Amino acid sequence: MSSTLDHYVEVEDFKSKRPSIAVVAKVIRDLAGERTAFVLGAILVFGGTAATLYEPRLFGRAIDQAIIPRDNSMLARMTFFYFGLIVLRITSMIGQQYAFEILAQSLMQKLRLRIFSLYQRLPIATYDRTPVGRLITRLTNDTSSMSEMFSGGFVTFFGNILFILGSLIWLFALNWRLALIALCVFPVLLYFSVRFSRKLIEAYRDSRMRISALNAFLAENILGMKVVHLFNRIPFHFARFREVNEAYSFSQIAAIRVYAYFQPLITWCSGLGVALVLAYGGAMALGVNPTGAGFLRAKITPGELVTFISFLLALFQPVREVVDKWTVFLSGMTSAERIYGLFDWATEMSEDEADLENLGGQSPTILGRIEFENVWFAYEAENWVLRDFSLVLEPGMRVGIVGHTGAGKTTLISLLLRFYEPIRGRILIDGRDIREYGKRELRNRIGIIQQDVFLFSGKISDNISLWRGDLRGSETTRAALTRMGFMKPVETELDERGSNLSMGERQILSFARAIEKSPDLWILDEATANVDSDTETRFGRALDIETKGKTLVMIAHRLATIRKSDLIVVLHKGQLVEKGTHGALLRSGGYYARLYRYQEAVEAVEKNAPPIA
Amino acid sequence: MSSAASTASSSFSSLKERTSLLRTYLYRYRKLVFFGLCSLVLVDLLEILPPLLLKSAVDSVMASEPYAKLIRFALSYFFIMFLQGFCRWGWRIFLIRSSMLAGRDLRGDFAEKLFGLPASFYDKNRVGELMSLANSDVESVRQFLGPGLLTFADSLFYMATVPVAMYLLSPRLAFIALLPIPLIPFLVWKLEGAIHDRYKASQDQFSELSAMAQENLNGIRIVKAYAREQTQYTRFRKLGEEYIRRNLRLSRVQSSFGPLMDFFASFGIVGLIWFGGRYVGAGVVTLGTFVAFQRYIQKMIWPMVALGFAASSYQRALASSARLKNVFRQNSNISVASDPVLPAGFVPSPRARTAGRIEIRNLSFSFPADETNRLVLKNVSLTVEPGMRAAFVGRIGSGKSALLSLIPRIYPAPAGTVFVDGVPVEAWPIDILRSQIGFVSQEVFLFSESVYENIGFALHGWDPKEKESVIHAAAFSASVANEIRGLPRGFTTLLGERGVNLSGGQKQRVSLARALAAAPPILILDDALSAVDVKTEEGILRGLRERASRNTELVAAHRISTVKEADRIFVFEQGEIVEAGTHSELILKKSGIYSQFHEEQRLKEDLESYMDALDQKLEVRGAP
Repeated sequence: MSSTLDHYVEVEDFKSKRPSIAVVAKVIRDLAGERTAFVLGAILVFGGTAATLYEPRLFGRAIDQAIIPRDNSMLARMTFFYFGLIVLRITSMIGQQYAFEILAQSLMQKLRLRIFSLYQRLPIATYDRTPVGRLITRLTNDTSSMSEMFSGGFVTFFGNILFILGSLIWLFALNWRLALIALCVFPVLLYFSVRFSRKLIEAYRDSRMRISALNAFLAENILGMKVVHLFNRIPFHFARFREVNEAYSFSQIAAIRVYAYFQPLITWCSGLGVALVLAYGGAMALGVNPTGAGFLRAKITPGELVTFISFLLALFQPVREVVDKWTVFLSGMTSAERIYGLFDWATEMSEDEADLENLGGQSPTILGRIEFENVWFAYEAENWVLRDFSLVLEPGMRVGIVGHTGAGKTTLISLLLRFYEPIRGRILIDGRDIREYGKRELRNRIGIIQQDVFLFSGKISDNISLWRGDLRGSETTRAALTRMGFMKPVETELDERGSNLSMGERQILSFARAIEKSPDLWILDEATANVDSDTETRFGRALDIETKGKTLVMIAHRLATIRKSDLIVVLHKGQLVEKGTHGALLRSGGYYARLYRYQEAVEAVEKNAPPIA
Repeated sequence: MSSAASTASSSFSSLKERTSLLRTYLYRYRKLVFFGLCSLVLVDLLEILPPLLLKSAVDSVMASEPYAKLIRFALSYFFIMFLQGFCRWGWRIFLIRSSMLAGRDLRGDFAEKLFGLPASFYDKNRVGELMSLANSDVESVRQFLGPGLLTFADSLFYMATVPVAMYLLSPRLAFIALLPIPLIPFLVWKLEGAIHDRYKASQDQFSELSAMAQENLNGIRIVKAYAREQTQYTRFRKLGEEYIRRNLRLSRVQSSFGPLMDFFASFGIVGLIWFGGRYVGAGVVTLGTFVAFQRYIQKMIWPMVALGFAASSYQRALASSARLKNVFRQNSNISVASDPVLPAGFVPSPRARTAGRIEIRNLSFSFPADETNRLVLKNVSLTVEPGMRAAFVGRIGSGKSALLSLIPRIYPAPAGTVFVDGVPVEAWPIDILRSQIGFVSQEVFLFSESVYENIGFALHGWDPKEKESVIHAAAFSASVANEIRGLPRGFTTLLGERGVNLSGGQKQRVSLARALAAAPPILILDDALSAVDVKTEEGILRGLRERASRNTELVAAHRISTVKEADRIFVFEQGEIVEAGTHSELILKKSGIYSQFHEEQRLKEDLESYMDALDQKLEVRGAP
């Protein structure tokens, strides 16, 4: 039965396949790194299972050797021994769970760190085409399901299998004839266990997929509720919701059905087993042989009979748990496959390169001569964003870049930061090809302020220093903050997305962030587009002080901010179309001149109209 | 005395109030619940018998009684288990299924409520919070109605029966064996609390960890530009270490939980061996009784643990149902007219079209979610005659969008201020009113469906052939048909996260096509083509004049080119109409806002046409 909302989920995410040998090998290799916890846990599993297996036997022994012979001192010893056995069992049960939890946690932390480190080193181009949500799922959900496999799954799964095997051995060792008779139901049970487990996996997968689709659909409808209302679609959308809701509860109930049939089967099997033991074991104990078959001629003590029944009764529940945990195991392995798949992705730098601490001290100073030499660039093949772009900036120059949306201005900056590499041509800084600089040391020399200030949650000071030291160049930065009239204390915690800061304050904050690394080259990407004129003036003054003698590239929407530049460059569809000073460009009467006149008119309207309350 | 009674009765009524939601859904499936509980009682009653049979069998062996008796015990053992198997099937099928169905209904009722709540509700409530209600709160109510109730009933029956059987077998032994048992629910209750707190602490840390990772990925450009890969890595590592610490803290309680319960019950067995062994020796009890006691003690563990679980499940369900009821209590402030009115001569039918005369009378308005009650519209009056195109000009926040949103009742206008064909909007049957209006806003919301389904949004239940031709015609009118055909799978291309991401302009045109497909007599375009280039927009607007169902058009825009052809232009400033007239009338007022606006636009168009010329002049070269 297919639901109507399947396209709301990534169907692939819900498929759990039989794990491939390669993945199992990788998991085992990682497990080998946690040898201590693993060995300790395994020993405790063995010890605990052994104690559990011996308990019913001891109970039987107590009957045969102390209670029936009325040997009270033996009874005292056995009681004591029994108590010791319980303590051993309980402690090893606690210990094994804890040991495997430690194993799972440490394994997952290592894996998470590996993933995170990979993410830090992925090129920006990868981020352009991969939704962040999917990357996060790998880092969080998939590691969680793997950790569940190691902590909960492993112990129960292997502990129970060990218990089942141990019980079988005990039963045969006690009385193999009786064991054969009692366990004739066992193959039937195993057969149905495997069948039910398959059905269960299917039902669980179905129900998880449907609830995800349902949630995605509901969330989207909440966001687009206005449209649903305007088009009178409430009844239809609700009908669709109800349909999938129905399908969801249907698949939930399907899982319940599987259990509902499985549980009685276990009850019947165990009932039949015990009844057989009572009949034949009782006959053995009584010394009668109702069938006359020589096969059944054997002796059994009452204690052994009781032990036998105890084992038999304890044998069936673990079968159910093994079936249950098989799904945990499968989904853990599927997650493992997805995670290990990540490590084949190409990165932009090696782990060593990303690991350089104290970059500030090591990286060379840049004088600030920048050359673009016939640079061509496209994000997708043949869709050129920059065409044959050439420009030389001398150290200390202030350059304004003007152009329409999509002219290629921001791409220029991305190339300078080596987020992407030119397809043709090259970029030189101080006469050296930028590919000869390390990516991180190069980026560390460039101070960039953008229109959309990305704020991290945390304190203002964290956002300035980006968690490197405690406001390193604090004095310069603090002075700059004061100069720009930033009054909030740097210890202030930011609200979600920095909503307790005004646009101007955010911009000042991102400026302070750049000042902190005392860059040799400054880039402003529409930095003052959202800022009121008052802040803009103070911002401009501070900028003059901080960038004195440094090369400064300004992309500006509002031309007033770049009027005073040494050089203004107009980009159009990736090509340089005008170049000169403000005065020269105005006189030439081209794009720049028209844009300037238009902006003057806009400002006139804004001055005329009263401000919005 | 009387005060105590009144406290009791008031606490009873508050209990009644708090459990009302739970009881509603329990009552709905009372038959299933009843059968489920009956099966459960049978399971529990049958559960008493096997140890007794075991006792008889052992005693019979010890007394060397005839073998036929033993066979009878074996047969009855199997028979009992056979019956019990049926009952076990029964309680799962009845009780757990009833909770699945109740969960489904609650989820459905909650969604139905959400679908009925107006825009103002969604202005105040975030998607994440609502989704958490629809998920975890519904689930915790369901958990109680199913497994919670089950374990509660189960342990009650057990406690009412098993100790009785034990007492009947041997009062002395029963006392010894049950001595440590009452500690269990107490321990469960204590440990459950600790587990809950520690679990929450671990979940909180996990959210923090994911939030940090998410933020890092969203801000990856900053991280890279500032060469802070390593610093972020260190932060992530520390959060991970804290997460481990909290998980282990949780695990220390959690991993000892089950074993500890077991330990207490096992105390009973130790006591049984010590004392019971002597009693058997002294002939106080039989060996069979001794064996039966071992089984009974084992059986007592689960109900005791379950009691603790059931209590905390109940607590959680109450908290969740309180949160859910908060939403169920919300009123839709878009009232449904008790006595709907339609314009004279308008006969409702799927294809009926109203004339489309819009009148606004002395309208002042503030958004319902705005607690400061700031007026976004002040005393606005205007009339738009059928067949007219009216344009609304003004800056962001000047009130034009607010005005337009009142006509299809996205927000409720004060009664008697907004009229469509002489009938106040609140008196119209709301679905008929909305079917007469095509509303296209600047913010486009498309669904993760195919382009075809998105454009055919209003055509539910149409003949597929007719639907197809209407959809294609609408896409053509919105000048987006060719681009849609160019998509990987044409009109059947899926939109959204798992499909194709359209550009802003394309989205706006698809959204226009969606409105046009319904052929509404009144068309409202609220800055709906802002991301579409001027030429295409002019083409679309010209085309709209010819559409068959056309009556009234209300167009809000920032571009002069969009509005200059309008029959009447209203200029808004701070919630008031400051200028009104045709384009040629308004530009005569040199100092007026409109005429400044016009000058600004003229210069902009000059720039844009220069850019077009530039495009043609520059030879668009390929790579060398």
